Amino acid sequence: MKLRRLHRRLAVLMCMSGVIAFLSGAGLDSVAAVPTLFALVLALFWQASPNATIRLERVLLGLSILLAGRALYHVFFMPDDVVIPMADLLLLMVGAEALKSLDALNDGRLYSLSFALLIASTAYRPSILFGIAFLAYTALATVALMVGHIRRQVERRGLREPELARSFLLRMAALSGVALAMSAVLFIAFPRVSRGWASRTVTEERAIVGFGDEVSLAEHGGRIYANPEIVLRVEFPDGRPGPSQQMYWRGRSYDHFDGVRWSHSPSLPLSAATTPYAIGWGGLATIRQLIYALSLDTHVLFGLHPIFAIRPRSRIRPFMDESGDFNYFGNVPPVYEVESYAGKPSPERLQRASEGRAPAADFYLQVPPLSDRVRILADSITAGKATRYEKVRAIENYFHTQFGYTLELPATARQATLEYFLFRRRQGHCEYFSTAMVIMLRSIGIPARNVNGFLGGDWNEFGSYLAVTQNRAHSWVEVWFPGYNWVRFDPTPAASETGDRNATAWYWPMRFIFDGAEHRWDKWVLDYDLDKQVDLFHRAAEQFSRPNETGTGAGHGDTPFGTAFRWLIGLIAFGIVLAGARSAFNRPRVSEATRGYLRLRRAYERAGYPNAPSTPPLTFVRALHEAHAPGANHAEKAVAVYVHTRFNNEVLDDYRKEELKKEVDAARKELKRSRSKVTSDK
Amino acid sequence: MKHATSFKIFGNALAFGLIAVSDGIHHPKLFAIPVVLAVLTGADALRPKPRPTTGEDLTIVRQRIKPTGWRARVQQFFRPPRRLHFARSGWAFTGGIFGIGFAALNTANNLLYLLLGGMLGLIVLSGWLSEQALRSLIVRRRVPRGITAGEPARIGYEVTNNKKRMPTLALEVREAGSGQRAFMAGVAPGATSFARADITYERRGIYLLVELTLATTFPFGLFTKERDIELGGTIIVWPRTDRVVRPPMPGGTRARRMGSLAAGAGGGRGEYRGLREYRSGDDPRDVHWRSTARLQTPVVREYERDESDTLWLCLDLRAQPGETAENGVEIAAALAARAAAGGERFGFASADTEVQAGSGAAQLDMVLDALAGARFRPDAPRVVPPAAPSECVLITTGDTDARFGDVYLADRGGA
Repeated sequence: MKLRRLHRRLAVLMCMSGVIAFLSGAGLDSVAAVPTLFALVLALFWQASPNATIRLERVLLGLSILLAGRALYHVFFMPDDVVIPMADLLLLMVGAEALKSLDALNDGRLYSLSFALLIASTAYRPSILFGIAFLAYTALATVALMVGHIRRQVERRGLREPELARSFLLRMAALSGVALAMSAVLFIAFPRVSRGWASRTVTEERAIVGFGDEVSLAEHGGRIYANPEIVLRVEFPDGRPGPSQQMYWRGRSYDHFDGVRWSHSPSLPLSAATTPYAIGWGGLATIRQLIYALSLDTHVLFGLHPIFAIRPRSRIRPFMDESGDFNYFGNVPPVYEVESYAGKPSPERLQRASEGRAPAADFYLQVPPLSDRVRILADSITAGKATRYEKVRAIENYFHTQFGYTLELPATARQATLEYFLFRRRQGHCEYFSTAMVIMLRSIGIPARNVNGFLGGDWNEFGSYLAVTQNRAHSWVEVWFPGYNWVRFDPTPAASETGDRNATAWYWPMRFIFDGAEHRWDKWVLDYDLDKQVDLFHRAAEQFSRPNETGTGAGHGDTPFGTAFRWLIGLIAFGIVLAGARSAFNRPRVSEATRGYLRLRRAYERAGYPNAPSTPPLTFVRALHEAHAPGANHAEKAVAVYVHTRFNNEVLDDYRKEELKKEVDAARKELKRSRSKVTSDK
Repeated sequence: MKHATSFKIFGNALAFGLIAVSDGIHHPKLFAIPVVLAVLTGADALRPKPRPTTGEDLTIVRQRIKPTGWRARVQQFFRPPRRLHFARSGWAFTGGIFGIGFAALNTANNLLYLLLGGMLGLIVLSGWLSEQALRSLIVRRRVPRGITAGEPARIGYEVTNNKKRMPTLALEVREAGSGQRAFMAGVAPGATSFARADITYERRGIYLLVELTLATTFPFGLFTKERDIELGGTIIVWPRTDRVVRPPMPGGTRARRMGSLAAGAGGGRGEYRGLREYRSGDDPRDVHWRSTARLQTPVVREYERDESDTLWLCLDLRAQPGETAENGVEIAAALAARAAAGGERFGFASADTEVQAGSGAAQLDMVLDALAGARFRPDAPRVVPPAAPSECVLITTGDTDARFGDVYLADRGGA
């Protein structure tokens, strides 16, 4: 293939990598992205003629002016994202440059524009696709820059193009691994001391049904469809806990129900926010969770309940609101560590709980105007139950045994009511069950509230974390127990359809692998910070310093890793020594005659009769004579021996060896004598 | 010169700085080390480049080639085995690195660190590949037998790439101290390529070629890496032969023959002397075909010539080196060329050397060689004419000698 065509294709592929990197961050928000991709694909196989290039430029000039005006308008007059209008302009230029004729020397512009797209994509939070595009870009840039440079040199000098074998081009692409390795080293080692003086990272915030400020039961018609998007990735620093199906990832609680929707009371007093410290949970084990959450529009922090410590790992500021829910300030995806009590207090302890009054009890005993049938039903279920715990369990059990679970929504608005659910339909989704239980408990004077979150999750072996999808969205009940605060109960029957369906889907293993990679990308690239850096270096240092517990290592107090590393260093050192010895051994040996001759030349050079390395021996002697150098006659004899031996290809016998040595020594002696004479004269 | 030096110092500082940063040296005190090194190595730009020797100071050939003195030794010690120059795109690329680096620090955006690392990685790769391109090369120089002052001489370079897999691309070869370069687009592994450079020497003389500089902008054209290799050689720059001179008139008899003796003209030969190898410019009719066929090499008959037919050019070296002296050399060269073109027999003598009489192009080459090496000095011995002075032509800068048949005064040109 001609160099210029090869070069253009490589540059176009670089641009494609840049566009894909940009798409991985900004998505399809930019109107020019898809047309540009089409133009780039076209440019791989077709280029405009020089005349057509001129016409193309005229058309694109007008378009560029329009887009530049739009970009300026956004910069100065619009408060929204300015990157998209700028990127549109950039993309248009990329497409136009790629389609130009092969004669156009626009490789520098293609490099710069494609690189600008990479930079533009860093303004977002791109997916792992950015990483793949970056790898491709680096490999392509290595080859394209090289081919482009050769092309320019050849065209400038009017030379014949050199043959560039395909294997050589592939090797060059593989050598981009050096650049990538350098990139990785710098990325890992460069101290992340800066927290961003003027950072701007746009993160798209997602809205999930059921996690807003209000939750409504009024939806009807149709069905709740599965949504496998992952919202939480949870790592357990202390090791994988037991089965995850009973993990309730608590998000928001709601205290006020108007018959149709749940909401937060704006006037909820601060005293409603209770903590689990120094109360009945104390004896339980704790569980640590490191949670990587999706950016949601409600800014809720999820975790196992009850949470007694929360530490941010990304640039967010967590806070607890009046109801004890955890929220945060910040516009980046929340990453945080949570410490909670595992499980919940035993039934015996809850049985013994006293009948105290809950803080802000008025809010948690609020009941909407419903018919008495609800209270009568609750009374009938709890009749004969002495303690609060027994009553709660009776109602919970009632739903477990008498009701069914379905994702089908009620057919009409009239059917989408609590009473219709309790007395007619007797099946529904989790919101109905939790709402019904809360209202029934409140009707018999037990403070309770509705809570939303996620239930369970799917363990990702590839990434060693629990993936919680939107399918896992759930609603349950919290009941107030004096001394224990809010305790979780779940009235929803166990026949959930969602989790199992995910786990058996044919694509699920693939999705796990991809999600595991995405998680690593987020964790180790996008969210890599000083803490992770320090932690990484500590762990690396530990690999060398940690004593060998088994005592089977080669060296006392060595880790197997440290031993292997020492072996590696030793092997490298041995290789270097071997290579040096081989080089020294292969060096052409200087004959004895040559050594004597060089000794003579060095002596005269030091004495102030310098000679060029290229000066032939006889010229050297003649120069000595002309300069009346001391010992010139001896030097001449020595050189004669040298020339005779060297150029007749003879071996220096003992007699000649002796003669050469004698003449060289004599010449040096005379030189020395003349120097000392000059010194004494002075 | 000062600008060039400061640029070089700055360039080296930048290059060392980049290496230092990429090596993870962030401490300001440690950063001073590459800066000091850069200044020391960059300072070699202050040292005059080895100037091509000229005819008027041929003594340089036997004088200092290597620098002496402590300063030169220190510079020599610190002089890097490779030199790096920034191309315009290299400056832009380096500027981009600083820009991205600042942006990465400013925004704490990890992806910018990734891009920064990638750019630095390309520089490291560039350094490594350019080093590979300059290694394992065998260079041979092809110098013409002699070149004429003021005319471009075509010097050829034959480069053999001894690497097993890696081609050498975008290679430039130039003589140390010369701006003219020979360019090779590529030398495949194990192959040999050839390129030429046109170099013009303005003054006649015997030039010692000491070093060659190999340079490459491979792989990305961001930097030019240079490496010097020692490759001795000699190039003989003949004086110009196109100076207009009057016909010589030694002994009054030469005038009759000058211009009338075409090559091989009848009556121009004396007694048959023997056979010898053919030399450039010999009369083709003198080729002894039978011997040529037997020996497989051209052989010509040689005849005794009448000494009175020989034009002896005697150059007086007793003069200060300079323009006038060079005029004398050029007059002698023009007279020799004129005689060679006319098929005449001619010889040359000066205080230092003597070229036996002969004819033809090969004889002209020998005389021009002698003229190229002519060394003027006021204390030079007087030239001894190899034949009767009245049969010789003297070329002198001023001290005329009435014994000679004809005298050319250098300061009067060829008149």
